[in-house]
Amino acid sequence: MSKTKKPKDTPSVSRRNFLKAASMAGGAISAAGLIVAPRDRAKAAPRPIPTPLGPGPVEVTLDINGQKHVLRVEPNVTLLEALREHLGMTGTKRICDHGECSACTVLIDGRATCSCMTLALDVQGKKITTIEGLAQGKTLDPLQKAFIDHDAFQCGFCTPGMILSLKATLNKHPHATPEQIKAAVAGNYCRCGALPNILKAGNAVAKG
Amino acid sequence: MYPTGRTSQDAPEKEVKKKRIKAKVGLAERPQVVEIEVPEQELPVWDLDSKLAVVGKRVPRIEGAEKVTGQAKYALDYVSKDLPGLLYGKTLRSPYPHARVEKIDASKARELPGVKAVLLFDKGEGFDPGKILDVMTEDAVSQPKGRVVIFEGEEVAAVAAESESIAEEAIRQIEVKYRRLPHVVDHEEAVKPGAPIVHRGMKDNLRRVDPQVRGDIDQGFKQAEVTIERTLRVPVLLHNSPECHVAVAKWEGPKLTVWASTQGVNGFRDELSKTFRIPPSDVRVITDHMGGGFGSKFGMQAYGAIAAALAKKAGAPVKLGYDRHEENLAAGNRPNATMWIKLGAKKDGTLTALHCRSFGTAGVGWDATVTPMMGIVYKCPNLRLEDTDVCTHAGQGMPFRAPGFPQGSFAIESAMDELAAELKMDPLALRRKNFVDQPLQALDKIYDLGAEKIGWSRRAEMGPETSSAVKRGIGMGTAVWPNYCGPPAHCRVTINSDGSAEAAMAVQDIGTGTRTLMAMVTAEELGLPVEAVKVTMGDTGLELIAPDSGGSVTALSITPAVRAAAAAAKAELFKRVAPALKAKPEDLVFENGKIFAPANPRKSLTWQQATARLGATPVSGRGERLPNVEPYAGIPLWGAQFAEVEVDTETGLVRVLRIVAVHEAGRALNPAMFESQVNGGVMMGVGYALLERRTMDQMEGRVVNPNLEDYKILSSFELPEIETVIVEPITPMNNIGGKGLGEPPTVPTAAAVANAVAQALGVRIYELPLSPDRVLETLEARKEA
Ligand code: FES
Ligand code: FES
Repeated sequence: MSKTKKPKDTPSVSRRNFLKAASMAGGAISAAGLIVAPRDRAKAAPRPIPTPLGPGPVEVTLDINGQKHVLRVEPNVTLLEALREHLGMTGTKRICDHGECSACTVLIDGRATCSCMTLALDVQGKKITTIEGLAQGKTLDPLQKAFIDHDAFQCGFCTPGMILSLKATLNKHPHATPEQIKAAVAGNYCRCGALPNILKAGNAVAKG
Repeated sequence: MYPTGRTSQDAPEKEVKKKRIKAKVGLAERPQVVEIEVPEQELPVWDLDSKLAVVGKRVPRIEGAEKVTGQAKYALDYVSKDLPGLLYGKTLRSPYPHARVEKIDASKARELPGVKAVLLFDKGEGFDPGKILDVMTEDAVSQPKGRVVIFEGEEVAAVAAESESIAEEAIRQIEVKYRRLPHVVDHEEAVKPGAPIVHRGMKDNLRRVDPQVRGDIDQGFKQAEVTIERTLRVPVLLHNSPECHVAVAKWEGPKLTVWASTQGVNGFRDELSKTFRIPPSDVRVITDHMGGGFGSKFGMQAYGAIAAALAKKAGAPVKLGYDRHEENLAAGNRPNATMWIKLGAKKDGTLTALHCRSFGTAGVGWDATVTPMMGIVYKCPNLRLEDTDVCTHAGQGMPFRAPGFPQGSFAIESAMDELAAELKMDPLALRRKNFVDQPLQALDKIYDLGAEKIGWSRRAEMGPETSSAVKRGIGMGTAVWPNYCGPPAHCRVTINSDGSAEAAMAVQDIGTGTRTLMAMVTAEELGLPVEAVKVTMGDTGLELIAPDSGGSVTALSITPAVRAAAAAAKAELFKRVAPALKAKPEDLVFENGKIFAPANPRKSLTWQQATARLGATPVSGRGERLPNVEPYAGIPLWGAQFAEVEVDTETGLVRVLRIVAVHEAGRALNPAMFESQVNGGVMMGVGYALLERRTMDQMEGRVVNPNLEDYKILSSFELPEIETVIVEPITPMNNIGGKGLGEPPTVPTAAAVANAVAQALGVRIYELPLSPDRVLETLEARKEA
């Protein structure tokens, strides 16, 4: 992580370390609502002392594309790592690993979410959709088809994140306006310059 | 001038028999029939009379479904599921721009559970990946005085461990004691006497490139009736390829396989072979899909060397990649430049002299040259172009889409506009006056179309005098890039008994659509639909050499060979079925779905019937890229871009509203992919004009913005409307009739935007990016003046 490049005398909180600290402390870092679900916290009086998780792997159950996956991972493992390295589902891409590019976007209960900024532990019990789960068998999602028709990718590395970012918006606003389509991918990084065609593809689907 | 990967298999020159053929080329509205001399086996040129069914059509990319479903596999996507026992590598990098490594202690890292290999790069000065076997050690400091690091991010050690987080932890556990040494990261400081020296043994930080001279510059300025003289600056840019540099290395005995995110599997393979002292035939480099390179991914580099060294040491496959931060310190950049330029012209606008002196930094590397563009873009009898590389304590520069040209374009196009103002001439008229006239060139038409589409005449109503605080302007710039495509490239096309075909070549698709072009050309030559063609590529194991993807060479270096291979395969098929048709193979044709001899059209076979006869032995043919036909190969790739901007004089914010990009690449092989290339080039160019720059902390000598949060590229909200106009002067240079396109669309964009901003404000900003602070400062300075 970024820490390795910083001088040893500069204290640094990397994203991964922050998440790690948070997970070690169980639900103690409430802003992140990380380990103990908020609902449990509210009703419990006196509050139970949260059990720290890790070091060492813990069992995590993930509902991905309608299928349950049980895996044993360190509590600080991000959803992105769990998908890619542990489950071998590498359609979800990593460009920055720091919440700056949206390449790692997946849908969590329908919301576009950066999986590099999400702990695998935190999304148990939620519905996770990745790019691998978008097509129905051999039938591509209309967005996927529109991407091909409008040449909305070159290297294709940003594509899964772009599609899922748009998907989240289109699920909510099936007839999204061009401004909404623009906003849907405003945080998505594309270096090849596919954006003009990505917007065309999104607008084509929104028009139906 | 480009890394081409054409080293180990270059064929020796053979005596070739030649023939003379005719081709109808140029623009459709002004065709020219030319006679050319080509090797005897060369196919007729696809010229203006050729009726093409696939080539030139908007064929969707053949890998589309893979890319939109997440199935396309990139080097980063190799995980333990693919390679059981895969280890993760990580590099320890110097946090300082210049320091002596006094002590390294890796004992704690070595003891960490899950750590499988630790390497210290502790000998010599700097880290040369090609010498990794000589500089790596397992022990602490082996030099009496310790090794010296010369930029922030330089490789100091590397580890391989069972997971990425263990590898990261191990890196943190390596204790290094550095003693800082004085540094210099600003090229304008590094040229001063007494500046810290970057490379030991050099007396200063400069390397003067041999100047390019034409005519007599002094005479030229004497003839001039008007001269202008300016100094302009451009910043260092970061490639920020979406997929960071990554390689997965696996040894099987003495044999090495590497899956890499590279622009050149062949070049990569050759360097691995040299570095690890094994024959090229024992090394295989594979790139199936790759997430962009833009020039930063040629050769083996540190990541390739370290991955292979760690894998060897650990006795297990190792994936070693850079993270975004590392990528932006050590994986390359576009050099900056300070450019002094002087132009002289007659009153009618005829250029008489051009003098440019530029210096810029490629960090600890070389080649910050920016003037070659100026030498070819306009006709000028007298010129002197001088470049100087300045070393600084920063990561080394790498080729970056059209190396040197966008920089040079900003200088000369700004100067041309100012000259036009001095001459009270229309800026476009000044270009027309001086444009290079070449055979089969369409620059006049390019200018016409651009001016028409942008509404050049509307400029009259724009500029600083309008009442609103938001000013508008239109500007333009000429695109040019030399034609570098050519041999060698070898392709094999196989026709299977099920009627399908397969084209194979060791070339990689870096996102430009190479795979699709191979399929299209094969389909065209065979008379099949694109869906019937499968492409195998990106694998040195194929032993079918092709160029590295850079310098706009790929498409037209390889497709003539693909076409030749397809023709050879078809000839083989005809040989096999000729007896059944009672005809000579050379008399057969495949038309309207039937194979037959025109003399006896009754007797025919469908394609399926014919290929079914192949049974278990498919036919294949090999094709070779033959030399370019002169003098046409000397004609560059031309274009022009026109920008319309809006500048808010209260906030300083520049918005690019529209870019009209008129380009030619000879034959446009796939207009949809053509437009995508242009979109990419334009977006990078607008980013260069408005947003992008690497910022260094001068005191600390470190990169301040090595991430995607602080290094801004264009997003959907800043995106201008981009209109691509394709001009198609067919060239007889090769059998396809095309040239290339990757670089030109990013050459003139920033200059066109800057010229538009200058028109809008009535005052020019001489430094990129045109950020709001600079706009406001410039307006303020004018007020004071
Ligand atoms: S990889 Fe998650 S936002 Fe960039
Ligand atoms: S298509 Fe390459 S980054 Fe978007």
